[in-house]
Amino acid sequence: MWVYEKKLQYPVKIKNPNPALAKIIMSQYGGPDGELGASLRYLSQRFSMPYPELKAILTDIGTEELGHLEMVGAIIYQLTRNLTPEEIKAAGMDAYFVDHTTGVYPASAAGVPFTAAYIQSKGDVLTDLHEDLAAEQKAMKALVSAKSSNIC
Amino acid sequence: MSDRQELMQKIATYDFAITELNLYLDTHPTDKDAKRKLVDFEEKSGILRNDYEEKYGPITFRDTPEKRMRWIRNPWPWDICEED
Repeated sequence: MWVYEKKLQYPVKIKNPNPALAKIIMSQYGGPDGELGASLRYLSQRFSMPYPELKAILTDIGTEELGHLEMVGAIIYQLTRNLTPEEIKAAGMDAYFVDHTTGVYPASAAGVPFTAAYIQSKGDVLTDLHEDLAAEQKAMKALVSAKSSNIC
Repeated sequence: MSDRQELMQKIATYDFAITELNLYLDTHPTDKDAKRKLVDFEEKSGILRNDYEEKYGPITFRDTPEKRMRWIRNPWPWDICEED
C-alpha cells in the first residue's frame, strides 16, 4: 500500500525548455537503466526475500525510486513545454512527437518502449542482490555517459 | 523563489535525510545515533509540514476531508507556476 505525497523528493523548476536534453533524460524515466525499471525491480524482488531486513530495505528503496521516477517525469515535462514545431524538429524530437506529442512516455533515449525485460526477479537472494548491484552500476554509468556527451 | 517554494524546499531537505536514515536503519536497526537523528529530523519536518498544509493545502489525501478543493487545486508538484 502506498500513500501519495503532493510534493517531489526534490523540487524541479526548469526555466528554459530544451527538447534535445529531454530526449536524453527520457532514458532515466523508461530506459534500460531508468527509474521505472529500478522501482519495479526492487518492489518485485522483495516478495521472495528471506530476511526481514531485506524485505524492509527493498520496499523502502523501491518506494524511493518511484519518487525518483516522478522527479524525472517532472523534468521531461518541464523541458518540453511550449515548444514550436520548428524547435521540436531541430531537436530531433519529431519522431517522439508523432507518437506521444509532449506526453511523458516510458521509453529509452532511442525511443524503445519500456520493457520488463530490463529487470530480473529470480527468487534467490544472492542472484537478486547481484542483479541489484549490477543495475545500480549500470545506472551510474548511464549518468556518466550522459554527462560526457556534453548534452547534460 | 516564492515563500511556498522556499518552505517546500526546507521540507524536502529534511525529508531527504529522513528517507536515507530510514534506509540505513533497515539494515542497522540498533544504531542509536542514526535513530536520534531520524527522530530529530522527523520532528522538524513535521512542524514545517503543518505550517505548509495550513497555508497551502494538504500534502496527503488523509488530511483532505474538509480541504478537498485545496487537495485538488494547482500547483501539482510537476507544475511550473505563475509565482516562479
